[in-house]
Amino acid sequence: MNNNPYQPWLATIDDIKEEVGGERAIKTFKLVFQDKNIQNNFTYLPGQCAMVSLLGKGECFFAISSSPTKKDYIEVSVMKLGKVTSALHECELGDVVGVRGPYGNYFDVKGWQGKNLVFIGGGIGQAPLRSLINYVVDNRRNYGKLDVIYGARSSKDLSYKQEFAELEKRKDVNVHLSVDVEEDGWKKFVGFVPTNLLRVKPSPKNTIAITCGPPIMIKFVIQNLEKLGFTEDQIFTTLEMRMKCGIGKCGRCNIGNLYVCKDGPVFSYKQLKSLQGER
Amino acid sequence: MVDEKQLRDAVKKTISRDDVKYVVGYEKGTSGFLVSPTFAFTPGDADKFIFSPLCVNNLAVYPMLEDKPPLRKGEEPDTRKIGLVVKGCDSRAIVQIIQEKGLKREDVVIIGIPCTGVIDPKKIKEKFPGQMKNVDVKEENEKFVITIDGKIHKISKDELLAEKCKHCEYPAPVLYDILIGKEIKSTKKEDYKEIEPLEKKSLEDKWDYWEKQFERCIRCYACRDACPLCYCKECMVDLLDPQWIRRSVNLSENTAWNLLRAFHLAGRCIGCGECERVCPMDLPLMKLNKKIEKDIKEMYDYTSGIDAEEKPLLAMFKPDDPEEFIL
Amino acid sequence: MDKYVLPKDNLSKFVSEMIGKYKVFAPVNDNNVTLFKQIKNPKEINLEFTNSKVPPKNLLFCQTETLFKFTPGTKGKIHPVDFDNGGRTVFGIRPCDAKSLAILDRVFKGDFEDPYYLTKRKNTILVGLSCTQPCLNCFCTSFNDSPASPEFVDILLTDIGDKYFVEVNSDKGKQLVKTMNKLFKSATEADGKKKKEVEKKAKDIITRFQKIDGITEKLDKIFENPFWETVANKCLGCGTCTYLCPTCHCFDIQDETTMTDGGRVRIWDTCMISEYTLQASGYNPRPARMNRVRNRVYHKYNYYPKNFEVIACVGCGRCIDSCPVNIDIIDVVTRAGEVKP
Repeated sequence: MNNNPYQPWLATIDDIKEEVGGERAIKTFKLVFQDKNIQNNFTYLPGQCAMVSLLGKGECFFAISSSPTKKDYIEVSVMKLGKVTSALHECELGDVVGVRGPYGNYFDVKGWQGKNLVFIGGGIGQAPLRSLINYVVDNRRNYGKLDVIYGARSSKDLSYKQEFAELEKRKDVNVHLSVDVEEDGWKKFVGFVPTNLLRVKPSPKNTIAITCGPPIMIKFVIQNLEKLGFTEDQIFTTLEMRMKCGIGKCGRCNIGNLYVCKDGPVFSYKQLKSLQGER
Repeated sequence: MVDEKQLRDAVKKTISRDDVKYVVGYEKGTSGFLVSPTFAFTPGDADKFIFSPLCVNNLAVYPMLEDKPPLRKGEEPDTRKIGLVVKGCDSRAIVQIIQEKGLKREDVVIIGIPCTGVIDPKKIKEKFPGQMKNVDVKEENEKFVITIDGKIHKISKDELLAEKCKHCEYPAPVLYDILIGKEIKSTKKEDYKEIEPLEKKSLEDKWDYWEKQFERCIRCYACRDACPLCYCKECMVDLLDPQWIRRSVNLSENTAWNLLRAFHLAGRCIGCGECERVCPMDLPLMKLNKKIEKDIKEMYDYTSGIDAEEKPLLAMFKPDDPEEFIL
Repeated sequence: MDKYVLPKDNLSKFVSEMIGKYKVFAPVNDNNVTLFKQIKNPKEINLEFTNSKVPPKNLLFCQTETLFKFTPGTKGKIHPVDFDNGGRTVFGIRPCDAKSLAILDRVFKGDFEDPYYLTKRKNTILVGLSCTQPCLNCFCTSFNDSPASPEFVDILLTDIGDKYFVEVNSDKGKQLVKTMNKLFKSATEADGKKKKEVEKKAKDIITRFQKIDGITEKLDKIFENPFWETVANKCLGCGTCTYLCPTCHCFDIQDETTMTDGGRVRIWDTCMISEYTLQASGYNPRPARMNRVRNRVYHKYNYYPKNFEVIACVGCGRCIDSCPVNIDIIDVVTRAGEVKP
């Protein structure tokens, strides 16, 4: 393995799925390391991240959105926002990117065995949850009841549509999709994700809630989870910051004395509450 | 000499107005000859305000540094005025910003100070090193009177005067709401003598000179951030896409930055010298600014920051503008 | 600790011998600014300085460093850089700056080792020079450090008149002295006494003092205090304090390319500018100067000590000397300690 943490391995884009179109499009890139050994040794858990780069454009820190149960590739879902992500969106099959990682901590998939899980996602925030959901579904018998709550501005803005369709077919996973405003042909819930959460009303008993999405959504989701009786150590979220190194050295992603890239990105609400610092 | 009581009264009066957010002036610094910008939010804060020949900073930078966080729903923008204590050169910065529509005249309350020249902080620090206790400095009969531990030092003004003051043609504020003391007239003339040796150098020697200077630049951008006229919302040096200047610190990129800064101030620099004062690497930035200022004066008979009603140089055209340099 | 003396007449020879073996960096005068630069001749050295303008951290954690080169584009290739494995010495480093390297070590070590810094660090011998004329804004003694402390260097030279008192503090230092043992003489008790006197005199010159008793805990309680607004109001938001700080280690990583080749470069960055934390979505967790000024102080006096049990300030005074608006860390921290939560 490479002992220079700044130097990425090269990976080839094996598949590109357009999840959402438009100005802030989202695409999922399937990446296969050029070196088989690297591919085999790149082991990670849901919640962990990778630095993906285009040579000449720069690097970005992404949650790995594929499940570790898939061994032959990794996936990242990328929203077109800045210089690097826009360039990534221009990429075609067979193009080469740099990848380094995996970085950061992960969801406690071992510790949560035997528990019910509620996933509450919004927009691109679904990416890290997708890794976790697919992991849990692939290890279905280790977990209790599963509720997946996910919403976006409109049905066009929902990511992973095909996968949700598959999930909805399963009897052992409850999927609750929503859009923010009413639209023709939408028969499911209309309203914000935190409201949908109150409607689904998961029981806090032996349950862990995991949420990721825009900061304002997370804020209200946590408020509503507390209303439902969830305690602060039953609530987990995964955060995002501007990052450069991914390994806790370049300085910018700190919340108080912790670095999101290294000590996060997964935090319990209990931890977050005790943590003083801008986020 | 500036009557500090009169100054404090003016600050008190200004901050007592409902339409004023705060007043920026000077207070004693944390050691020796240092003074520090200070903010009055209440009339009581005015008591710490001072003015002495040590007050070198150009406070006109502060209205342009205001953090403007996005407004919350239903929140009204704070349109209250900012009060500023200014010397002649500082007031020219405000005039120039108003010309460029960076500020409106009514955005500021200007407390003007007729300035007879300030001290170069580097020179005085060198003359009296290691001075911890705050030092009283006055001006009397063309001399700076410096009292250290009861001992009085009378030093000729020329020895300690900041370079910018040596040829200052506008010692009194060109625009003000309140004047502390009386109007004064300059007896000096800017003759651009300091840049003559540089002008006489061959092109090759000029490059050589500037390369030696720019090599040291650490790109901290203090020159930009201290400059009241460097107030672009997005400085091109920060842009990444497209990236005009690389972030690598080397002679080529440093040169690009320093020339860009100087040229962007062409016809706008009012000569307050803050860029050079704050440069931790002692780059002679005012030599660049002054050369451009001289060329502009010769070619267009234009002086920046004098009349708030006038248009900025680059926004006006006269049929007889020289144009030989246009290919 | 082995102790020797180096007659002043031998200093030039000592440096020359080092130049023969290593890359030698030493304080030089560049247009009246003292900087550490590589020297080829002992004559280039300027010992008439209190502290270099830019701290010698830049010799190990370079302001600009190419991490690797590449062929740019979507079919690109990576070309690793060679690490400079040659020996280096930093001659004339001050004890405070040497301590700052011990602070940077903790950042660049850890779970992910930074090969760029650590390779240079491993190959570098620090030949320190005691500070006998501390500046007005020096305050290393606030951290119980001494301007003549050999703790963080391999060899420390202290000017005791016609000779230097030499303290050898590490194996690296021992090796160096061994190879040039003709130049050194054993120290007498009187020499040791003289060094102590010089050290005491230097300490006595330091008059400024920062109150740091329990500062980490105190800061925990005043994060939201309006005090930080009053400190930050006058801040211009330039990066001078951070670039000149021997313990600041933030960096940016950028790809810089031409049509045919490129490099991924790391450049010093500063937490004092808004762009530092600005996210692509437009959201900025530290939008105001207050957030950024507070972050600088907290990083040094709260966050870093929580992670590594030592305050990330060595008291060199550079940020005070060069701040355009007199934001004075001695004053800020001392006053912060007195703020009522």
